[in-house]
Amino acid sequence: MEQSLIYLRRSGTTEDVEAELWDDISDLHLDQWKSTWVPLMERAEARLRASGLPKARWPQDFHWEWDKKTDWSRNLLTLQRFAITCGGALQGLMMLNLTKLTARLPSQKGKDLAYVEFLATAPWNRPDIAGVQQFTGVGRNMMRAAIEVSRNEGFHGRVGLHALSQADTFYKDACGMSNLGSDADYYGLSYFEMTAAQADKFCH
Amino acid sequence: MAEKRTMTLNLTDAEMTALEELALKKDLNKTVVIRQALRLYQMVDNRLREGKKVFIEDEMTKAKAELMLL
Repeated sequence: MEQSLIYLRRSGTTEDVEAELWDDISDLHLDQWKSTWVPLMERAEARLRASGLPKARWPQDFHWEWDKKTDWSRNLLTLQRFAITCGGALQGLMMLNLTKLTARLPSQKGKDLAYVEFLATAPWNRPDIAGVQQFTGVGRNMMRAAIEVSRNEGFHGRVGLHALSQADTFYKDACGMSNLGSDADYYGLSYFEMTAAQADKFCH
Repeated sequence: MAEKRTMTLNLTDAEMTALEELALKKDLNKTVVIRQALRLYQMVDNRLREGKKVFIEDEMTKAKAELMLL
């Protein structure tokens, strides 16, 4: 497993902090997920249930079981996993699929792309769960990793994903991806796609 | 990035033509086409070994045909 140096920003400051991007999810990362993320997610879920907030407005990745996803995907060439750590703590997880679907935008229709199956940031980076945000930049660094994989595979930076509705703004505004609208064949989630030019712009 | 190993691949004219056509159509080099094919083949094989079925669906009619791998 290899790691590369990246930077996260301490929330509310201009301080960039050294972090590590890992090109797989290790057993240690899964232990950290289980021991640090899951209890916070469970507490947040209990709090939301007690508050009576409609389930549709809860964070939509409560049910993502990273241990099962990782275990199932480990022997499959098409699925690639990534983790971000900072200060010894797990900050983000992502899984890419290199054969899930081909591009839908007319300018690149039918071309291969890197598809983001799952992308999550730690609960303490999410005000909707922890009420605070320790670091920003996990999602952006993961998207950069997806673009790099896409380029290395000869896909020219093309990336696609279906976004949970709470992440629509991030993919549209922060990543500059094209929103192709609701996908009736995929739980009605919005489908976003990045072209080579959008990838260049995002990475600059 | 994972270390890569080199192998020689012998193809018939028809196979090479198909590979070149796919590479052109997909805007990929031939090595990537082969790698994508391997990834897909492994994924389909894995699904079938799990007892799942793989279908090809007609986008217009929604008719489904099961993909058989013998």
